[in-house]
Amino acid sequence: MTAIILDGIVLGLQFGVLAVGLTLVYGLGGVLNLAYGQMAVVAAIVVSLSMDAGLPAAPAVGIGLLAGGGFGLLLDTTLLRPVYRLRGEAKVLLSLVLTLGVAFVVDGLLLWRLPLEALTLHIGGGVVEILGVPMRRGSLWASAISVAVFVALFFFFRSTMLGRAVRSVIQDEEGARLVGIDPGRMRTLILVSSGVLAALVAVTRSMTTPVTVTAGISLTIFALIVTVVGGLGSVAGAFLAGLILGIISTVSSFYIGTFLTLIILLSAAALTILMRPSGLLGVPE
Amino acid sequence: MLEVRGFSAGYQGNDVVHDLSFRVDRGEAVMIIGSNGAGKTTLLRAMCGLLPVSSGKVLFEGTDVVPIPAQRIVRLGMSFVPSARHLFPQMTVQEHLSLGAYPNRPDPETMSLVLDLFPRLGERRRQRAGTMSGGEQQMLAVGRALMSRPRLLVLDEPTTGLAPKLAQEAYQALGVLRLQGLTLLVAEQQVPLVMAFSDRGYVLENGQIQIEGTSEELAKNPEVRRAYLGVT
Repeated sequence: MTAIILDGIVLGLQFGVLAVGLTLVYGLGGVLNLAYGQMAVVAAIVVSLSMDAGLPAAPAVGIGLLAGGGFGLLLDTTLLRPVYRLRGEAKVLLSLVLTLGVAFVVDGLLLWRLPLEALTLHIGGGVVEILGVPMRRGSLWASAISVAVFVALFFFFRSTMLGRAVRSVIQDEEGARLVGIDPGRMRTLILVSSGVLAALVAVTRSMTTPVTVTAGISLTIFALIVTVVGGLGSVAGAFLAGLILGIISTVSSFYIGTFLTLIILLSAAALTILMRPSGLLGVPE
Repeated sequence: MLEVRGFSAGYQGNDVVHDLSFRVDRGEAVMIIGSNGAGKTTLLRAMCGLLPVSSGKVLFEGTDVVPIPAQRIVRLGMSFVPSARHLFPQMTVQEHLSLGAYPNRPDPETMSLVLDLFPRLGERRRQRAGTMSGGEQQMLAVGRALMSRPRLLVLDEPTTGLAPKLAQEAYQALGVLRLQGLTLLVAEQQVPLVMAFSDRGYVLENGQIQIEGTSEELAKNPEVRRAYLGVT
């Protein structure tokens, strides 16, 4: 049981980071990016191709993170332009339709050109015992990186001027303009960060499980579920919900079965919406 | 300091204010009064870059700010406090005040000036704006605007939603700022309060300036007395 829970924590930390990238973008007045998982997959494939070409892992990962950020920048400067001009439901719907299209195009291209490409980062060095449970080094690296990302995110949003400026645009765009903050720049920053976070999760995930070209949709779904449970726009909520859902996920995979696990996670999201619509740490409207 | 010439603006091609011209000199407190729907809010929002302008110029210290977006106008030294306040509900008082100075670090001298003016804000530094009362939120909106060290402060209905006593206190605070040399432009429906506070004023009705003059002249004007001061 301890082993299953530890595995759940490893998974949950990564779920959390994944959700932050989605929820930040949604915070821009309701921009729902359904091509989010594909950002992670594209980054993973870029890393994999760079390594196939003979690059060592570290620079290949660097290129992958740049690819994730570049994907975000591309969305921000092209397809999302008309989305930003809308408000309310229209904004959510247009972003949903456009990014779903992007997701299909990316999936189609990858399946057509690189159907067998997948990213696996082998972290050698055997196992390490934690609480009497032998853990793979890949899991420990993935968790350490995820925790470091959360610490960095908390510091950025709480204690830096730029982090506060990003939050201000999410909370009240007009208020942000009145203190001299350019919302367009903050949007670009958020989209690029979102792509980098997706790429990071693709990299940490590949330390324990291969990330294949078809992983996009399930990554988007996981991110959505964690975001709904944690509360929109909350980094702490994403962290907490990621851990809880990670543990639920590994426990139910072990005792019930992998297929039903997704149903259970979706039920957790549905229950949250019914009982606490703003999520664990989200802010009621 | 501020000169508005032939200014028209509105929503989606329908001008709400037409061909307005007025000015605010350095050190003055100028009021714009008018009934609900007269176009005061449209005028101020368009002037400060939050609404499109269809024609005219807004010269702030000689620079036409019409083509400049709101986020850059504030850096020129003209700060706007909207009636809806537009605070950041999840952020603390402290965070608002430091963001007010964006992109610079908050200046300690300006910070202590704001906290002297509104001691309540100092007592509630860690409180989130969303949980504050209307009066406190108004203080915070003004405090945040002051952190950018403006030379001209533009306020839209600073007494919206405030009880009469708090509305009076709000004008006392603005009076202190005026004595410190800040230039003020205030749109207001609570005419008696703003009348006692300002040097000059303009009466805006149906999107046009109908009457203008010093506050004493306006206070004596029979139309103003009938329409805004409740004198019959």
